[in-house]
Amino acid sequence: MRSLTLTIAILIVSLTVLAGGLLIGARPLQPQVALAALFAPDGKIASILVWTLRLPRSLAAFLGGAGLGVSGYLLQTLTRNPLAGPGLTGVTAGAVTPIVACFTFLPWLSSVYYPMIGMAGGLAAALTTFWIAGGGTARPLHLALGGISVSMFLGALTTWIILSSGPQVPALLFWLSGGFQGRSWPQLAYMAPWVLIGCFGALASHRVIGLLTLSEQAAAGMGLQLSLWKPVLLLLAVLPVAGVAPVAGPVAFVGLASPHIARLLRPTGPAWTIALTAAIGGFIVVSGDVIARGIAPPKELPISIVTALIGGPLFIWLVQRRGFTTGGGA
Amino acid sequence: MTMVRAVVRRPLPARIVLAMAALALLAPIVAVFLGVVDIPPAHVIGVFLGQGPADARSIIWDIRFPRIVTGMLAGVNLAVAGLLLQTVTRNPLADPSIMGISQGATLAVSLFLLLSVYIHHAGSTDLPELPVAWLPTVGTLGGLAAGGLVYALAFRRDLGPLRVTLCGIAVGAVLHALAIGLIAGWGSNRLEVLLEWLSGSLYARSWQHAAVLAPYTVSGLLVLPLIRRPLELLSLDASVAQSFGLAYRRQFSLALLLSCALAASAVGTVGPIVFVGLVVPHLARSLAGRHSALVLPLTVALGSIVVTFGDLVGRLLGRAEEIPIGVITALFGVPVLVALIRRTP
Repeated sequence: MRSLTLTIAILIVSLTVLAGGLLIGARPLQPQVALAALFAPDGKIASILVWTLRLPRSLAAFLGGAGLGVSGYLLQTLTRNPLAGPGLTGVTAGAVTPIVACFTFLPWLSSVYYPMIGMAGGLAAALTTFWIAGGGTARPLHLALGGISVSMFLGALTTWIILSSGPQVPALLFWLSGGFQGRSWPQLAYMAPWVLIGCFGALASHRVIGLLTLSEQAAAGMGLQLSLWKPVLLLLAVLPVAGVAPVAGPVAFVGLASPHIARLLRPTGPAWTIALTAAIGGFIVVSGDVIARGIAPPKELPISIVTALIGGPLFIWLVQRRGFTTGGGA
Repeated sequence: MTMVRAVVRRPLPARIVLAMAALALLAPIVAVFLGVVDIPPAHVIGVFLGQGPADARSIIWDIRFPRIVTGMLAGVNLAVAGLLLQTVTRNPLADPSIMGISQGATLAVSLFLLLSVYIHHAGSTDLPELPVAWLPTVGTLGGLAAGGLVYALAFRRDLGPLRVTLCGIAVGAVLHALAIGLIAGWGSNRLEVLLEWLSGSLYARSWQHAAVLAPYTVSGLLVLPLIRRPLELLSLDASVAQSFGLAYRRQFSLALLLSCALAASAVGTVGPIVFVGLVVPHLARSLAGRHSALVLPLTVALGSIVVTFGDLVGRLLGRAEEIPIGVITALFGVPVLVALIRRTP
């Protein structure tokens, strides 16, 4: 009951931010103008601003954030490691680098394939990180170092590719800094299935996740086929990142932070944790997006600045907590 | 056993010392002879004897030679900084780019370059001369600030190497996101310069760069022998070191400051060349074996060798579109790092 109330509350707050976001931007709108444009679009500037620029963009931001949050939750559960997240396990870098490579070297390749490519790259990077860190239950330091070395390696490759790509540099770089600028309905429709499969897949397997959070032995003892479920969960974790990365680029720290915030709210059971995580992730990114375009219009701040400024301190606070070392098994 | 070893001084392994000295000398010579533009060896020698065609002279004196010297200095700085960091944090995986120092320097330099456009620009389209002389200083300040932040965060409580490293990673990630965001948001007319610098590159480094970097390298190398004993004690546990009469906090802070200054000045001049600070000290230690006195000189020699050869490989492989040295070190450094992580318990 409490979890339901919390989830609904966060969704309502997100909706409020979303509605507020309709008014904010390079050309601010009056509330009544925005309302009129929202419910009776007439093809004028205001309704274009609302319907093709701001509304789909904010929805994409919410959906992207929800997907990244769920991805982080799944990775943290899989590795039993509080520091896991799309950024720190190399999944994001793994999705980004091959996409940048295709954008530069295979420009004829339709961007429809980008999520596939991103997924393959993200999976490969995640597996490499887990291998470096020595298996699923890696110690925090090893996981972090494994993830950062995979990310640095891929980052160096990405920079090199960008350097050799010449005229596309500014576009690539803006994409790399993460953001929803100019994203509209097509991009939203494009990433929605990936995010939704990831989120609803996670929700559907909440019993499995509940068993896994106990311990692997306990889960195996209850008859859970680990060799089947661990790859499935990893796939579910990579799916949203593969969908979000081609649209918004890497958005930092959301996947890491959202599950922790959700857990602080003490949800009842994994299903509610997933729902809360998705709501919180969506809330963070949708607010981040509004801040990013509202802070110095008409210039836009890349959203990673905003999320890093929120998520970074949170991460440091996590590391500094007394319970962290013992809880994380270091 | 160890006592006996300490008393019976073993002769230093002459072969290793000679080989490294030879390599360190050979690297810049090879690098001067080879390049995208083919210059006959006779002309190269001629240039050094004060003759040779004018274009060869200009390529060697104005392009190749300053670039090589800058690379050597930066390599030494990064390697020694890594050695210092690994010693004081008692973390074999510490490195300027893992501890957030590189990212701090990166952010400061990006900010400075972008602001310099706004300061000088004032409406005109022609770009002012890059304030090259300021970059190492700015980078050093940024790196020191980031190092100080990590230090302050990590030492608020009694934190082990794990938390120092994790704090470094976190601070580094935040600063990196800020730098990338700034560059993407406002870098439009400085993108090429910033990006190339961001990947760690020796492209177009001049005597001016070498001159700015040299004081840091020289003073760092002069100070190091003086703090050799405190350093050895710092690698012990804090309480043990204190029982030897070491002012632990002060020496720790001094060593950290020195490593920050060395790393940050290098990053400020040539950009974040990753993994040199991490990998070179390990190579040096495994070469030195039991002769701990050799670790520092070997680190110095290897730092300069690795960067010189790495840059040469990048210049030759990419031909006109050269591969930045930072990419080369990342490609070669990651496997080594992976092996180290998997070996560390």
